[in-house]
Amino acid sequence: MTAPLTTTELTTPLVEPAGQRGDRASRATWRAFRRQPLGIASLAILTILVLVSVLAPILSAYPASYGTDVLRPPSATHWFGTDALGRDVFAEVIWGTQQSVLVAVAASAIAIMIGTLVAVAGAYVPRLDTFVSVVVDLTLSLPVLPLMILVAALAGPSTWTIILVVAAFSWPEVTRLVRSQALAVVKLPYIDAARLMTRNHIWIVGRHIIPAVTPVIVVSVVVTASRAVLSAAGLAFLGLGDPTTWSWGRILFEAQQSGAMVSAWWLTLFPSLAILALVLSATLLSIGYNDARNPRNHER
Amino acid sequence: MSIALFVLRRLGRGAVTILFAVTVTFLLLRLLPGDPALAVASTNMTEDARAALLTQYGLDQPLPVQYVLYLGQLLQGNLGTSFTQSVPVVDVLLQRLPWTLLLTISALVLTIVIGIPLGVLAASHKNRFLDRLVQVLGVTGQSLFVPSVGILLLLVFGLTFRWFPIGGAYSEGVYGMEWYGSVLQHLVLPTVSLALIQLGSFALTMRATLIDALGDDYVTLAKANGIPPRRILWKHALRNAMLPAITLIGLQLGFVVGGAVLTETVFAYPGIGRGIYEAVTQLDFPVLQGAFLLLALTVVIANMLTDIAYGFLDPRVKTAS
Repeated sequence: MTAPLTTTELTTPLVEPAGQRGDRASRATWRAFRRQPLGIASLAILTILVLVSVLAPILSAYPASYGTDVLRPPSATHWFGTDALGRDVFAEVIWGTQQSVLVAVAASAIAIMIGTLVAVAGAYVPRLDTFVSVVVDLTLSLPVLPLMILVAALAGPSTWTIILVVAAFSWPEVTRLVRSQALAVVKLPYIDAARLMTRNHIWIVGRHIIPAVTPVIVVSVVVTASRAVLSAAGLAFLGLGDPTTWSWGRILFEAQQSGAMVSAWWLTLFPSLAILALVLSATLLSIGYNDARNPRNHER
Repeated sequence: MSIALFVLRRLGRGAVTILFAVTVTFLLLRLLPGDPALAVASTNMTEDARAALLTQYGLDQPLPVQYVLYLGQLLQGNLGTSFTQSVPVVDVLLQRLPWTLLLTISALVLTIVIGIPLGVLAASHKNRFLDRLVQVLGVTGQSLFVPSVGILLLLVFGLTFRWFPIGGAYSEGVYGMEWYGSVLQHLVLPTVSLALIQLGSFALTMRATLIDALGDDYVTLAKANGIPPRRILWKHALRNAMLPAITLIGLQLGFVVGGAVLTETVFAYPGIGRGIYEAVTQLDFPVLQGAFLLLALTVVIANMLTDIAYGFLDPRVKTAS
């Protein structure tokens, strides 16, 4: 958003376009955001989850393959209890955080890149747009989870399979969000002015269109990441997760497989709370950002 | 646009969507690193049986020929044979489809029945406590993981209070009215879990469209005419706000079906979703492929029917497209 102004002074129009509001607007957004307790709380929870995922090796030893205390409820030695093989559920949840955060970040990064490129290409080149919107509509109208299941089963279970599968079926949602904004931006006069200045389309897209749709991209990063966590947990719950890496979905899957799901509440409660914390705080963060960005909310 | 042309366009759109789903499935099966033969032939077959199957499905032909052959097979309703049960996949799935439909439709009905009053409550108390409460519940609802909700309901109402059975779709050994009663009893917990995950977004959309509708000129006119506010809200504004909210349900049908797959897994409910779970454990690819295609077909047909029904009910839909 704040690219250095070098050769671009000439093309910067007098009235700042939506995406290039500069430092002042960013600071105003931050000031408005700071006043929202829910937004700040969700930002704090997300930060904690990221820290947990990075510091997992310090916080807890990697879950052993089996233990002697089987299906013990939470206690001082096992904060979250133990599972059917005597493994510490606290360690499983901590290490599961690492995988979930990785999937959320990687899958949404890939989906955002593909989704934004397709959306902007469609908006900039009208001939492509019909094709783009048809493909997006068609994909969004299909039951995506069964399709992800088929692909994940064919490709074999691994964390990267999950990331790629989730990304492959999440980008149309990003495209839908970004495309509507990009279509409005390409019609603005300053894009016409830029076209008069240069025939370098990549430069116009990169300098003028992408920055203008950045707010929508920020929101869809958060939404896509939380959807990715839910999809990945769903796949793992059905037994399509990586059998060598701990994930929140895998804890639930193993609880179901061992038949302990209904007798040992601690097996399902803690990973469920972790999923809820991540997804809910991501959702609240995007709502808070949207509210803060709205200039009407800047003055109290 | 005449109604006949409108219906034709919707039918055409449905057909295109199905063709798209089929093409995506075909390409995935053929282009993924896994052996395409896996999708029709098990690896523990004898070499001869495997070769015969590959020829039968045309897997020794070039890709475009394979595509045409694949379409031909699907048109005849042939989805291959299940590895584990040695019966046609279509038979396995069609037996399970009614349970999935029952679950999905009950969940949608429950969502609408609870979601409309919630949306009305929020919109009529805009920016006050009840509105905030509905918004908080709505956002939380959107963030729920279906299996978590299912397991919680199972623990509380199935095991602790023992109000409802903890799995399956009916009781063995009961007949007649009693059987229907047991079906209903088994349906409650899965339906509530599936409804809870959609309720949030439905109530929030209902609230937003209703607030829009309440700002329209006809509402001001109705107020000026002295029509009671309650009547304006429920009779006038609600009717106009319903359409976008119900359209949203149609758009989310694919997502709901995904939720049904997870719900059925938790409750051992004998629908297509539980079939998918069992097929995953046994790597039964024909069942997985068939399940996706059948669910896609169901979603597309349901969307087509609701679209066409709207065309008849609301003339604006017809002219808008």
